[in-house]
Amino acid sequence: MTHKSVLGEVREVQLAIQLIQLGARLQFLESEVGLSRERLIRLYKEIKGVSPPKGLLPFSTDWYMTWLANIHSSMFYNMYQFMKIHSDEEKVWILIKSYKLYLQQIAAQDSEPILDFTRAYTMVRFFDSDMLQLSTCCRCSGQFVAHAHDHKSGYVCVLCRPPSRAGKARGAKRGAAGEAAAGIEAMGFGVEAAPGGAGLH
Amino acid sequence: MSVANGEISREIGDINLAYMLLAQKLVKQDRVAAMFRLGVSSELADMLAGMSLAQILKLAASNFLLCSFRLDEHASMSAVVGEGKDTMLQQAHMSILMSARSLQTRKAAVPA
Repeated sequence: MTHKSVLGEVREVQLAIQLIQLGARLQFLESEVGLSRERLIRLYKEIKGVSPPKGLLPFSTDWYMTWLANIHSSMFYNMYQFMKIHSDEEKVWILIKSYKLYLQQIAAQDSEPILDFTRAYTMVRFFDSDMLQLSTCCRCSGQFVAHAHDHKSGYVCVLCRPPSRAGKARGAKRGAAGEAAAGIEAMGFGVEAAPGGAGLH
Repeated sequence: MSVANGEISREIGDINLAYMLLAQKLVKQDRVAAMFRLGVSSELADMLAGMSLAQILKLAASNFLLCSFRLDEHASMSAVVGEGKDTMLQQAHMSILMSARSLQTRKAAVPA
């Protein structure tokens, strides 16, 4: 910040607190909040009790195409788009607001959020840079997250035509897989690292 | 027969009143989120927020339900309800369809 007003700084700190509580990563905080990296790290430690995780942000659009992730991503992006059109707030606040709405929705459904804040933010960037699009399902007419430049006609969503194995191995396996994925994330490897590893033979 | 009709009217009135009061509460809490939940335009949201209790009571005392089905196409409705979907998926599907609908109504309204 070039001119430091006390109120402006308070607002930045409040924004940072909100973002950290929602689970924003340091890279995101640095680009969205006008506070020094050092102060952001201090804030992060104070709120979360641990140092911010290191490592890259997710950088592949493929994750958003897997079955349950696609459902949750579509839920979130529809909300985000609605907020973007109808709310006159700053972009970062729209992101916060729609992510909170997503969490509320998930809580009301008694299930676990699949889309974390970082993924939500990355998805918005993918949409902005024209790597993702919303495709309209020809059966239910809902709008779902899809790769950009995919064929739009005849698209059937993952809910109207679930993949044959969808939801089969849930329950016991879901918990274990979730923990494993979280572990990988914490170590700084994206899920993107997995296909490369599997490719070694 | 007339007794039963009177009762139905009263039930409709009760639902209308509950619906209007809830809608107003939602709009006052968070305007945009309420627009999303209720599927109403910003003009209507502002109007709801500004209505007096007397106005709400008058509007609610009607033989017609003020709220209507938002999944108003058979295709959407059967996609959500169909084939013994588990509750979580049903809710998720509903949420996606509802958002699309509120956006569609807006898109339809804009070019005019």
